[in-house]
Amino acid sequence: MGHLNKRLLLLPGLALLIYPLLPGASDYVLHVMTLALIYMVLAMGLNIVPGFCGLLDLGYVGFYGIGAYTAGLLTIHYGLSFWLIVPLAALNGALWGALLGAPTLRLTGDYFAIVTFGFSELVVLFLTNEIWLTRGPLGLPGIQPVTLDLSWLRPDWYFEFYDKAPNFYLAALLVALVFFVMGRMEDSRLGRAWYAIREDPLAAACCGVNILHYKVIAFSISAAIGAMGGCFYARWSMFLSPDMFKFWESFLVLCMVVLGGLGNIKGALVGATVLVCLGEVLREVLAAAGLPPETRFMAYGLIMVLIMRFRPAGLFPAIAASGRANPLLVVLGRRIAAGEFSGEKDDARGTSA
Amino acid sequence: MAPLLELQNIRKRFGGLVALADVSFAVRPGEILGLIGPNGAGKTTLFNCITGIHAPSGGTILYFGQGRSMRTNGFKPEKMTALGIARTFQNIRLFNSLTVLDNVRIARHCRTCSNFLGAVLRTRSQRAEEKENVEAAMHWLAFVGLARHALADSGSLAYGDQRRLEIARALATEPRLLLLDEPAAGMNPRETRKLVDLIHAILASGVTVVLIEHDMKLVMSICQRLVVLDHGTHIAEGPPAEIRENPRVIEAYLGRGAVHA
Repeated sequence: MGHLNKRLLLLPGLALLIYPLLPGASDYVLHVMTLALIYMVLAMGLNIVPGFCGLLDLGYVGFYGIGAYTAGLLTIHYGLSFWLIVPLAALNGALWGALLGAPTLRLTGDYFAIVTFGFSELVVLFLTNEIWLTRGPLGLPGIQPVTLDLSWLRPDWYFEFYDKAPNFYLAALLVALVFFVMGRMEDSRLGRAWYAIREDPLAAACCGVNILHYKVIAFSISAAIGAMGGCFYARWSMFLSPDMFKFWESFLVLCMVVLGGLGNIKGALVGATVLVCLGEVLREVLAAAGLPPETRFMAYGLIMVLIMRFRPAGLFPAIAASGRANPLLVVLGRRIAAGEFSGEKDDARGTSA
Repeated sequence: MAPLLELQNIRKRFGGLVALADVSFAVRPGEILGLIGPNGAGKTTLFNCITGIHAPSGGTILYFGQGRSMRTNGFKPEKMTALGIARTFQNIRLFNSLTVLDNVRIARHCRTCSNFLGAVLRTRSQRAEEKENVEAAMHWLAFVGLARHALADSGSLAYGDQRRLEIARALATEPRLLLLDEPAAGMNPRETRKLVDLIHAILASGVTVVLIEHDMKLVMSICQRLVVLDHGTHIAEGPPAEIRENPRVIEAYLGRGAVHA
């Protein structure tokens, strides 16, 4: 099953990675693919909070917006390089994650969800009204595209990412980076602490996990990843406006996570792909049917209902073991299969008593 | 001999309900102390106060596990775990969708220290710690006899095995004092016998045990001393033989007919 899954994902993945290099590659398809990659970053980042820690986060787009505007403003006013802006935007996202999380993560369940929802609305209001900084509803045009300056290696190695293909590969790189970090976190002391909080906060505390501390860490890392996604988005779209960061974006990303399977990193990738493609299809279909584009949200709602009814754990339910492929666990699995523990004393106890 | 844990006039109120009223007793190092009493007597509330889940409304909890006396009122549960007090729960609280091994590995949290950077970069020290962590977890799983189920989902274990996994998880925090809340509840006689052996093995490893239990046969056979609570008050304390004859206990707990049973 695991191998089959891997192969199923690997082949189309490779095909898609080669696609931009083909001579007849369509700009539109590349655009959609890049968009899907951005949502993959967001879905993976959001996954940490509801998927790993079990907290409903309805305001993820707030961090996306913070990252995007951080990147946009730093580019316009200071002309900083993208490669410097990514860590700065991530840090800014993490900072706001911690500032929001530290006082509010004491809340549980619905109350926390409401706070995050309020936060993302606050971000939009800020972006709309603080005109001195963000130009408000006029938006932030003229953001330079990503550049890669390697002229210190060879004088003519200076690249501007105007084309679709380089941006696509940059987004793919970002996805790969986040995927790698997520995989490492999942199979670590940090990830296990998060799972413990999701499964049973009280038992987690009695196992020595400082719940608030680890929730804030989760929230900050999640925010940092969202901000990184926003950062790329700003330099890719070259224009930002507050209405790009409305609540619906949070909901869409949450749908992706739930569709893919809460707590499953690969599921988030699939969820993002499916919903972005669906969005594009609906755009055509709804226009043809003469319906306003907003009706697509009804389709998302319908999908959520169907998922709840038929696959409540998502398309790819999270598997119990974090990092089953970890060499430590592989070795342990072999030892168990070899019968090292089969003659356990508990059996002896049972029969002698 | 100095006690390991001393409770002085512990009180706990929930609104108008007095759950604990001036409960005082001491736990001696190396002993197995039974905490008994009818339902609603405040036994679990007392465990919750000791482990920091509830802050007592009054009184003092003194813990001597760190080589000096320490007032631990209002300490957080994770702090109490770090100080060496571990517990199990009356209604099993495992991390059900995780593996048996991960349940125990999580309990190593306060005995390990790798952080975000260690996890992402998978540094040499982080890898060493993970390896050691798996070995420690397997040690405790073998101790309770669950090693061969290490990679199974904990939710799929048999009931008695789940109870023992909870004990392994508590032991993996390397406690000085282990609080067991009705460990034999719902077990069949064979599982209970295995549990008795396990508790003796825990004592032999140098861990002090406090046990809440309704199975009187079990309590009377393994506890050196008993403390009896009724309606949140401490009504008797002493060796099982004495408690068995104590008229107040019989009245409150066993019922009048029990004397002749």
